[in-house]
Amino acid sequence: MRLITKKHIPRRAFLRGAGVTLALPLLDSMVPAQTRLAQTAAKPQFRMGLCFMPHGAVMSNWTPPGDAANLELSRTLKPLEPFKKSVVVVSNLAHKNAAPAGPGDNGGDHTRSPAVFLNGVHPKRTDGADIRAGVTIDQIAAQQIGQETRLPSLELAIEDYSGLVGSCDVGFSCAYMNTISWRTPTVPMPMEINPRVVFDRLFGDGSTAQERLERIEQERSILDAVTGQVRRLQGGLGANDRNRVAEYLDTVREIERRIILAEKQNSISGINVPATPAGIPDDHQAHTKLMFDLMAVAFQADITRVSTFMMAREVSYRTFPMLNISEAFHPASHHQNNPARLEQLTTINTYHVGMWAYMLERLQSIKDGDGTLLDHTLMLYGSGMSNSNIHNHSPLPILLAGGAAGTMQGGRHLKYPEETPMANLLLTILHKAGVKQESIGDSTGLLTEV
Amino acid sequence: MAVRLNANPCRLLGIVALTILSAGLLAAQDSTSQRALLDKYCVTCHSDKLRTGGLSLQGLDLGHIPEGAETWEKVIRKLRVGAMPPQGMPRPDKAALSGLAAYIEGSLDKAYEANPNPGQATMHRLNRAEYANAIRDLLALDIDSTALLPPDDESSGFDNIAEVLKVSPSLMERYLSASWNISREAVGDKRIAPSTATYRVRPDLSQDQHIDGLPLGTRGGIVVEHTFPLDGEYVIKVRLWRNTFDLMRGMEDAHEIEINFDGARIDSVTIGGRPDFLKMAANPGAFGAELDQKLTVRVHATAGPHTVAADTVLRSHAFKDDLVKPFLRTTVDGLDITGDPSVDRLTVEGPFNSTGVSDTPSRRRIFVCRPSTQSEELPCAKKILGALARNAYRRPVADNDLEPLLSFYQRRRNDNGSFDAGIESALQFILASPEFLFRFEDDPADIPAGARYRINDLALASRLSFFLWSTIPDGELLNLASQKKLHEPAVLEHQVKRMLADPKSDALTENFAEQWLFLRNLKSVAPNLDTFPDFDDNLRQAMKEETELFFRSILREDRSVLDLLNADYTFVNERLARHYGIPGIYGSQFRRVHVTDEARRGLLGQASILTVTSYPARTSPVQRGKWILTNLLGVPPQPPPPNVPELKENGEGSKPLSLRERMELHRANAVCAGCHKVMDPIGFALENFDGIGQWRKDDDGAKIDASGVLFEGSRVDGPVALRKMLASRPDVFVGVMMEKLLTYALGRGLEYYDMPAVRKTVQDGAANNFRFSSMILGVVNSPSFQMKVKKASASATVAAELLH
Repeated sequence: MRLITKKHIPRRAFLRGAGVTLALPLLDSMVPAQTRLAQTAAKPQFRMGLCFMPHGAVMSNWTPPGDAANLELSRTLKPLEPFKKSVVVVSNLAHKNAAPAGPGDNGGDHTRSPAVFLNGVHPKRTDGADIRAGVTIDQIAAQQIGQETRLPSLELAIEDYSGLVGSCDVGFSCAYMNTISWRTPTVPMPMEINPRVVFDRLFGDGSTAQERLERIEQERSILDAVTGQVRRLQGGLGANDRNRVAEYLDTVREIERRIILAEKQNSISGINVPATPAGIPDDHQAHTKLMFDLMAVAFQADITRVSTFMMAREVSYRTFPMLNISEAFHPASHHQNNPARLEQLTTINTYHVGMWAYMLERLQSIKDGDGTLLDHTLMLYGSGMSNSNIHNHSPLPILLAGGAAGTMQGGRHLKYPEETPMANLLLTILHKAGVKQESIGDSTGLLTEV
Repeated sequence: MAVRLNANPCRLLGIVALTILSAGLLAAQDSTSQRALLDKYCVTCHSDKLRTGGLSLQGLDLGHIPEGAETWEKVIRKLRVGAMPPQGMPRPDKAALSGLAAYIEGSLDKAYEANPNPGQATMHRLNRAEYANAIRDLLALDIDSTALLPPDDESSGFDNIAEVLKVSPSLMERYLSASWNISREAVGDKRIAPSTATYRVRPDLSQDQHIDGLPLGTRGGIVVEHTFPLDGEYVIKVRLWRNTFDLMRGMEDAHEIEINFDGARIDSVTIGGRPDFLKMAANPGAFGAELDQKLTVRVHATAGPHTVAADTVLRSHAFKDDLVKPFLRTTVDGLDITGDPSVDRLTVEGPFNSTGVSDTPSRRRIFVCRPSTQSEELPCAKKILGALARNAYRRPVADNDLEPLLSFYQRRRNDNGSFDAGIESALQFILASPEFLFRFEDDPADIPAGARYRINDLALASRLSFFLWSTIPDGELLNLASQKKLHEPAVLEHQVKRMLADPKSDALTENFAEQWLFLRNLKSVAPNLDTFPDFDDNLRQAMKEETELFFRSILREDRSVLDLLNADYTFVNERLARHYGIPGIYGSQFRRVHVTDEARRGLLGQASILTVTSYPARTSPVQRGKWILTNLLGVPPQPPPPNVPELKENGEGSKPLSLRERMELHRANAVCAGCHKVMDPIGFALENFDGIGQWRKDDDGAKIDASGVLFEGSRVDGPVALRKMLASRPDVFVGVMMEKLLTYALGRGLEYYDMPAVRKTVQDGAANNFRFSSMILGVVNSPSFQMKVKKASASATVAAELLH
């Protein structure tokens, strides 16, 4: 029941008058005994950002021409030109568990593609509450590298389909399509589309850094005063109520711990916390970029090291007036091999890759230890589907980028034998994150070349 | 009370005969006639040897009933409801059975009167609804507590049960965050950052009708009361519903869509007609974006609550589309774009360029004084914070209560904060304080542990107001409690009547009735579109409104609670009247009507209850039977055993079986039969009401057969007979309602030792024709409500550890 920390300096006095960008040295006594911040600051920390796209891609325009160590970008991948040295294109991977398991499991490809994407596990066909998929690699990694940060993982998305219950595949719960992250085989992680909500989770309420600091200070004072008040109340209480109060005090201490972590984030110098967003921007591009900004700053401030991002939802009917394409995403993805329509879909694919390139740019622009944030991050971009016209799941369009904290070299195109399990890549990513498990989903081994 | 109904007669009929013989021998050992009755009709199955239902009455001493109170309470329950002895077994006449029950009750009640056990009350945490109401009363501020706090767990049928209202770190974080946001909004902190509030319309709302609260002569839309935190500019956006292809409803004709602010039109957009329709068809996304832009308006608003609304101006009463729309619900086809434009959501963004804060209800409530000079500041701060703390802590405040508050105030004030900012800081502490969040009831120091005592007047004031209002006590209650007068019977009775007459007693409908009657489930029912194509959100809302108004009328008019079963009136609007087939009712507003159809009388004729006890595609006699057994008769059936086979659906080609026939097949299974024999006939009596409470004569082509024999022996042939059976046992129905009411009032599950208190309220109530106020007074005057047992104090070491 005792607070397991080293002796604390009273932070209230300590923080008084602190400005917008604090550059306080982290005193040892401000570090709670149970966290290993000292170590984590010394060694570059591995981060992973896993991004999902629905509806595959026009593979003929996606796959780079050569398979050499010298990456030559294809038409769709052109937006990645400035980051070519950091990008690895992985070809010929397959998610066979995204396909129907047999007769009676027909259709449902739009449901399985996101459900399988990060675990390689065939989801149970049900539209009831008994949903079942596999634990995804982001959540496995979060168990390992996410425990020292305030948020073990961060789940982001763009499209809100909450008003469309019943629009999911026949025989499947909508839950499968609404997320790409599963904490346990039965617990999907909700994805957040509102940047304001994400922001508040990362930094707490308050429109400026100054205000957030004030708030932290205020909360600390409140907790101190509350403890004093409870002490006075103790006298008149019976045993049961005392237990209840003890429970309450425990929670107060846990909050204190979280506030210490929040203080730490706010005291890292040089972080440009974006302005508090008002809500969901109407403009798709602005919305996507803002979500990437938030992911980047969450990595930078070490609020989280693991993030997933559903850049669009399966069967999305988003239209792209800014690309002069009036057809919605899903109908456009059923191109029927019509050249004009293939052209349209390629334009949409390229646009999305461009959004991802924006994230690489963000990461590259942020210093992190002895390099940039991009050096210490592994970014994944891909789809659980290949040819959206016929709903197949091989070969998948898959990209990697970043130095992955010294474990990955970019500028390459790795061409594997056809039908190589995508789960092999998932397993490889886990190993890079330091999680040495033996298999995941339908994996058969590691992709050591990656 | 965890007494469950399992009407299995002992099935070993061979042994039955033997035991009946031996019963005669046993009777000789006991002299009283009650013992003989018990032995003759009960011990047959409930013997030491058979222990049917896990119960033996063989050795229980009728001379010392209170010692076996827990068992005897179970016996009384079964006897009173008529469930024992079960059908098919020998039964004495009714008078003899009720004589036996009365004998046992008399003995238990006498013992209770001499030595009442008020039970164990655990310290309460305010639940989410109570928290929101407390903020409303403390700060004159309406908050969306669902956005600020997580939902509470439920137990014993209610979400205010102390035992399960726990605290967790994430909850504590939310409380801190809520206190920060609320204190800023209440004071009107100029630094409040712009944010977006989104109000959504349920997608199954039919928007071809007038919506109550919107201007007459309009259709569909949404109206919200939004609290604007500061004086400044706000952006109001209205987004029309669009289907998955981004196509919008109603664009083939011109429509006028208006946005209103405090009842005045601030924007109007004419949209639709051939050119627009073609434009939409050519590029739906661009067209939609353009329309969103047009339906965006910037307003200057003063701080405080304002009404914002959006709707479509009615262009004509001629419903040309009705020819092709056979259903009342307009959203049956999720792709259909004919009909009227439909509002999908309304958002309010801001404040931008805020200019400060003008007078708001919250500021009027908080700033009871205004310092004009520096020297007036501290006394004024004391006055403001003293008043806030008194209401928030629900007791007079002493100097040492003010100390921390003033230190919060002073610190912020010294730190270049304004006077208001100082108050805001102290207010945040009050809202995060355990004295606000928990309901402490101190044990008196001068009595020994284990002793029973009357709670003090302040604790009584809180219990009363959380029971009747789901909120903190008002000034009058606190004053009377501070003067130690509240417990005086005449004062107390006057206060209870005053509180019931106050609109705040709507909380009894919202929190007690809605949970007791399962009305809260209505918002998540989704009747099958193919089976019930007329069901829409308009009907869902109307169903809930009817039962709420109905319950409220019984409360406000101080009617007999038996009217809940029998009343010959109800409340409908046009949508619900069409559902019931009541002619001549027009418009969206509700009105009281006389119920001419006997079958529709009381709760059992209301679509809300009939819908929450149905499956999406059909009725469920089992659910309805279970609902009545649990909520009206107090004998919930056992949960079903695992691996119960599903009912067989009617197959292609074969003769369709009625639901009754299919359920009879199910009941052939002996494991299922025991409970279903009890549940099903009750549910079948309501089979003339379909899955959304509409009257019907046949189902799936088979004629409805609503007849059956109830577990207590009476024959029923439909809802009227069922209602009459329930009304014929007023003590049972009222007793169950009192159990629920006492559970809710105490915030704890009831135990066997609470039953004498329940019976007393029923007996006293009977003398007052079961008037609502007399039932409430019965609860308030019960020892469980007014007394406590002093708990053993915690050991010194525990206390020391608590404080580090």
